[in-house]
Amino acid sequence: MADNNIDRRTFLQQAGLLGAVSFLPMGAALPNNILRPPGASPDFLAKCIRCGKCVEACPYDSIKAFGLTAGALFHTPYIAPLQTPCYLCQQRGKDGKDRPLGKFLRCGAACPSGALRRIVNRKEVLANVPNEFKIGTSILDRNLCLAWQYDSCGECYYNCPLKDKALRDRPPGGTLSEGTGIRPYVDPDSCIGCGMCNFVCPVRKHIAASQMNRDIKLTLFEERYAAMVRNVIGRSGGTGKLPAIRVIRGL
Amino acid sequence: MKSKDPVKKKFPVKPLRRLAQLAILLIIVLIPLTTQNPAEWFPSRIVQGQLPLPSLSPWSGDTWIFSFKSIYLAHPLALFDSWLAGRVIFIPLLLAAMAPLILTIILGRFFCSWMCPVGFILELNMSLNKIFSRIGLHYKFNLKDSSYPVLTILLVLSFFMATPLLAIFDPPHILGRELIYLFTHQQVSAAGAGLLFFILLFEIFANSRMLCRYFCPSGAGLALLGAKRLWRIRLEPDQCIDCGKCDQACPYDLDPMVLKNQETSGTKQFNWTKCDNCGRCRDDCPTGAISYHTGANY
Repeated sequence: MADNNIDRRTFLQQAGLLGAVSFLPMGAALPNNILRPPGASPDFLAKCIRCGKCVEACPYDSIKAFGLTAGALFHTPYIAPLQTPCYLCQQRGKDGKDRPLGKFLRCGAACPSGALRRIVNRKEVLANVPNEFKIGTSILDRNLCLAWQYDSCGECYYNCPLKDKALRDRPPGGTLSEGTGIRPYVDPDSCIGCGMCNFVCPVRKHIAASQMNRDIKLTLFEERYAAMVRNVIGRSGGTGKLPAIRVIRGL
Repeated sequence: MKSKDPVKKKFPVKPLRRLAQLAILLIIVLIPLTTQNPAEWFPSRIVQGQLPLPSLSPWSGDTWIFSFKSIYLAHPLALFDSWLAGRVIFIPLLLAAMAPLILTIILGRFFCSWMCPVGFILELNMSLNKIFSRIGLHYKFNLKDSSYPVLTILLVLSFFMATPLLAIFDPPHILGRELIYLFTHQQVSAAGAGLLFFILLFEIFANSRMLCRYFCPSGAGLALLGAKRLWRIRLEPDQCIDCGKCDQACPYDLDPMVLKNQETSGTKQFNWTKCDNCGRCRDDCPTGAISYHTGANY
């Protein structure tokens, strides 16, 4: 005789199992290189209570939150440097100097559950954040880099908030002879992974511009730039990952 | 023999409650409005040597966790959820949840009727529900209170998945975070907005206060925390005229009239756990027999 009735206990068990199983595959489908806000502890997922305070606290709205397709990661914060990099809570004055907005990085200061640690907003501290609390680390593909290939760039070096600490204009021990352009070099110990270099890298910018808006007017200088970008991409055989400098987590 | 006093009309508690609910809803909408970055309505980009304007607002959050500068207030269940999922009690969160927790233990489940923005919206739609039920555009589901199993499942899963799930399913927090995300990033998640829409749809065309009565996990958690409350309603048996208006007024169908002979009959006990001290029965009582009362035992 078929027993169609299920008692409450089995129902609860099945409901729980269903809930757990339906969450797991959605989480697994995400890219594993998720950039969390600065100060994310290793047990971030367990501690984050999805209050959205870091999203609100971020002065430049760099921190975004996942939608429901992220499954168990729903409404956890992330940073997408190609859209908006982390500005490390700096405000640029009229004299071109950065001033910190507050004593700590605002996302860490706003976090009520300890998922994001507080990081003191001073450049000496930001350049020495332990590896597990970083956003990530920038890596530079010298085959794609215009500065290394053509002596004609340096956007990442000039825009880096931790200039001369995280990004240097030459590799350690290297010398720049007269007339040579800069050779960007990422110091993996100092780089916090804010993604500013990622954001400003022209190798990505020009490709995106040409793909999105065909009528874009490029100046003569920019056309030379675009030609060089096409060249470096052609040289790497189209296998290099764009942009030339990008942030990865867990280096 | 006691002489019958002329019935003094009590000041109704409903306007006060509406004021509190309106204030909370206003705060929940105002926070993301003031937090948004005006420069971010356009795609952010670096103009040579410039950064976009920062938005620095002193307050943030919603009913889940609210903060003004360095003062934090947390929903009591946020503490338990974070404790279960993270296996640690984070002291600042404990401090933030302390005042609401003590208030909940003393005042019972007052959050649901005095503060919850979703409850407020649903309450405003109760008259609409009545109109539709009179027309016949209405379907009444035969449901049982399943908010405690929902709460248990969510908490157990939070522990085993190491993910605070209650934070995802807390209805006022769904509303709050959709508003936050709407104003800071000009998006809403289809799931959150859709869920709120369906809650409202069921509220209007099906059982009245369906979410609060049968499903809300946070309501269940607050009810359990406030089970031994000090602030209760009290029915004066001498003044009760058995009109039954309080039974009709109660949105949870708790039948406050059983309070009259609870000690003597003992057939049906009043469900103190579920009562959210909204005071509807108090306001509707024609003789003023029901009043608020403080004390550990009834």
